[in-house]
Amino acid sequence: MQIDEVVWQVINRGHCSFKIKTISQNFCRNEYNVTGLCSKQSCPLANSQYATIKEEKGLCYLYVKTAERAQKPKELWEKILLSKNYEQALAQIDEQLKYWSNFMIHKNKQRLTKLRQMLIRIRKMRLKGFKELIPIKKKAERRDKIREQKALVAANLENAIEQELIDRLKNGVYNEIMNYNTKAFEKVVGQNQMEDEEEREQQELEEEEEDYSDEELIFDPNDLEEDDDEEDQDDEEDDKRLFQKQTFNQLRRDNDEVKDIKKKKPRVQLQYEEEEEVEDRKKQQIAF
Amino acid sequence: MTSVPLVSVFSADDSSKVTAKHIPLPAVFQTPIRPDIVSFVHTNIAKNRRQAHAVNPQAGMQHSAESWGTGRAVARIPRVSGSGTHRSGQAAFGNQCRKGRMSLPIKVWRRWHRRVNIKQKRHAAATAVAATGIVPLVLARGHRISQVPQIPLVVEDKIESYEKTTDALNFLKRFGAFEDVQKVVSTKVVRAGISKQRGKKYRVRKGPLVVYFNENAKLLKAFRNVPGVEVVNVTRLNLLQLAPGGQLGRFVIWTQSAFAHLDKLFGTYRYSSIIKDGYQLLRPLITNPDLARIINSNQVQEKVQPAKTTKVLHEVQKKNPLKNTKAMDRLNPYAKKQRVAAAAAIKANTKGTKKIKKNKALKKASRAAYNKVAASLNDATKAAVQEEQDIKVKYFSVQKGAAQTE
Repeated sequence: MQIDEVVWQVINRGHCSFKIKTISQNFCRNEYNVTGLCSKQSCPLANSQYATIKEEKGLCYLYVKTAERAQKPKELWEKILLSKNYEQALAQIDEQLKYWSNFMIHKNKQRLTKLRQMLIRIRKMRLKGFKELIPIKKKAERRDKIREQKALVAANLENAIEQELIDRLKNGVYNEIMNYNTKAFEKVVGQNQMEDEEEREQQELEEEEEDYSDEELIFDPNDLEEDDDEEDQDDEEDDKRLFQKQTFNQLRRDNDEVKDIKKKKPRVQLQYEEEEEVEDRKKQQIAF
Repeated sequence: MTSVPLVSVFSADDSSKVTAKHIPLPAVFQTPIRPDIVSFVHTNIAKNRRQAHAVNPQAGMQHSAESWGTGRAVARIPRVSGSGTHRSGQAAFGNQCRKGRMSLPIKVWRRWHRRVNIKQKRHAAATAVAATGIVPLVLARGHRISQVPQIPLVVEDKIESYEKTTDALNFLKRFGAFEDVQKVVSTKVVRAGISKQRGKKYRVRKGPLVVYFNENAKLLKAFRNVPGVEVVNVTRLNLLQLAPGGQLGRFVIWTQSAFAHLDKLFGTYRYSSIIKDGYQLLRPLITNPDLARIINSNQVQEKVQPAKTTKVLHEVQKKNPLKNTKAMDRLNPYAKKQRVAAAAAIKANTKGTKKIKKNKALKKASRAAYNKVAASLNDATKAAVQEEQDIKVKYFSVQKGAAQTE
């Protein structure tokens, strides 16, 4: 009591480590301050008789400081647990701070109310959940967006999909004729026709060397053409199949030689033990 | 103060044990707190540690520069002589010039140190010691003392024989002073500015100050390496340590003998100091600094005259009584009654006169006539509206029929 006045003069005029000055107001950083403002009445340092409410783990405590314990910082604050019932807690404050200044009692009750409201809000949020606000980081967003675009381009999705489809076709996933894109279809068909002509030319040259090996499983389109004596019923089917195989060939060749337009480039002649190297090659072309 | 506050001396090994209970507080701790004296003394004493420095006396003057005088359409400042380089003809020598010497270059014979009256220095020291015993001031300065058992903290002389830093650290931990040390450690920052290249790399806070008495004490070495902690002998208490930055309230740990020595050092209010020859502690202007309490005390209030109420001579703005009834009432209290009577009279008069009756009758008649006309108009408008609607209906039905037939 005696020294409060002096302390306030020194702290206020001089330097207080808890004081925060803003343009309009002064705040107090001291953890025991009831109001949070820097003023003589609410300064926990400049009042030897002081009380605050503090919250710990959902419970409110009344901290009381009296002049008798002023010289013992460790024992300075008496901690009184307040009732969980709001009205009872208010009554407790009244009882503990009996005959204290109205300011102190009133501010403590206000602080209790505020803390309790905060606790209610916390509980509500825990139960109901709440929208967590996440800041939008402009730089990061901008960067990610651009990187996504680049990744999309780098992925070559169309090519990859095309490859996948062709592989599936090769593997025989699709049993029947599918609806191709007309342009691609025609392109393939056109090339196929060219292919046929080529093959026929080659065949004419090497007709003598034709020999049917044991590899009868390998389907030779040329065989079909010779076997016109077959039943008419199968003609359509065979034609279909022929067509299928032809397109398949074409697609495969397209796959192999994307940039190579000239089909008549000399092929590498591999030395086989058998004489029918050319035939084998042909058959290998068709076999898949 | 009638009663002298009492202080306990704590055991060095156990903070809960008290070796000596209720030692009276030395009188220094009751010196009036005078931040003004401390501030003044501190600013001056702080200058005494300065080392002379100066600017090179030739700096900026190593030219044979001469002013070109008037008539050359240039400023009259001295210009560098010679040719063949950019520098020639440029301004030199002046403080305003680029590459010129500074104005009033610093000389070594600057008055670096300040002398302060001994009495002032002693008063400042005494105040600073007193402030170390006031918890709020120590807290306000920023020391973390919430776990310290007592302020002022007095410990038995055993700590003077500490040799190991571990002992020192453990001692601090036991007495809740370690928090302050931790604060020092955690807030060590690289200094801003060039000083860091000149041997002052870190800015370190002040921690506890340990005050001992025996000259053979080894605790200096034990506490030396603990960051923030300073050790000083009672006989050589330094204001720069007791109130660093001119700010009162350093956290001080006293040994028992040091504490006891304070009375001899500063004296009391009963006898002047033995060591500081002829020094008498400062007496307060008023013994009870609680002004509010004094003013509101019974003794003062009895004698005090009743509070003066401000007497209002007149309104700030003049109100016209002929228009403003309240202003009129203030001047003539009977005016209110007059007004009321007049109004009543008027009312009474107007009730029974023929003229009024006639007017009333006329009014009635005119009102009736008006209503009649209005009614007829109303009817007419209604009829007209109805007619229009009929026409519309007919027209559209005709239209419809025509459309259907088509």
